[in-house]
Amino acid sequence: MASIPAPTGRTVRQIKPLPKARNNFERIAWMFMRYSGLALVFLSLSHFWMQHLIIGTHNIQVGDTVLRWGETGKAVTFENIIWRAYYAVMLGLAMLHGLNGLRQITTDYFRGNVYKIIMGAAVVLIGLVSVGGFVALAAGATLVTK
Amino acid sequence: MLDPLINTVRDSIRYQGRTQQWMWVAHRVSGIGILLFLVLHVFGMSNAYFNPEMHELMLETYKTPLFSISELALAACLIFHAVNGTRIAILELRPQLWDKQEVATKWALIITALLALPTILIMAAHSISVFMAK
Repeated sequence: MASIPAPTGRTVRQIKPLPKARNNFERIAWMFMRYSGLALVFLSLSHFWMQHLIIGTHNIQVGDTVLRWGETGKAVTFENIIWRAYYAVMLGLAMLHGLNGLRQITTDYFRGNVYKIIMGAAVVLIGLVSVGGFVALAAGATLVTK
Repeated sequence: MLDPLINTVRDSIRYQGRTQQWMWVAHRVSGIGILLFLVLHVFGMSNAYFNPEMHELMLETYKTPLFSISELALAACLIFHAVNGTRIAILELRPQLWDKQEVATKWALIITALLALPTILIMAAHSISVFMAK
């Protein structure tokens, strides 16, 4: 913005635009937490209520997983794809949302090596579990062989 | 090494932010609780493919009394985190609503109670009726 001459004839201080950030990570993480959180409200509450209120915890059987995910090696139905996509989206968003939340909490209370240890362990643990979850969703459920 | 932790805790006590600050603390605590549960849960569910006997064993473990009580706490944490998180998301994505912060907090707590109480009651009734039948 160029200087604007004031009524007295003296020029006014030039107003500079905000500088462009060099590192957008925090801003993107902030947006992700809000938007993924809103999506997760629907995903996680529907999942929780379906399992605990509609089905009931004590009525959950091993066979239900096979019915929804499909069986390993068998052909995948349209229903299987919908269930797997629903769980996969929920898994990915929830793990990233949780991991970033943990990062925010850890930076508040720990710095330096303790922070690195905590976040390193969390990334490894959550990463392994998530990869396992995605692999299991892609492969389908195995029947229990007695 | 623990200085940031000590300083933060001391200043948090000194801040005396009342309801708004408690909502922030509860959001953190419930978030960590949900994350810890989630790691266990995804591990258990992925065993449906990797190790079906372990998967069945874990499903049976979820029906024991300890887990039946813990999942009530999980329900409360999840519903609070979801409702409060929605309040945070809406108010931070729409700053023009900032003068409604106290009202939103009050409604967040009311909605949490309205959703969590029936959920916990239904789940507890289901568990109790199953345990009584045994």
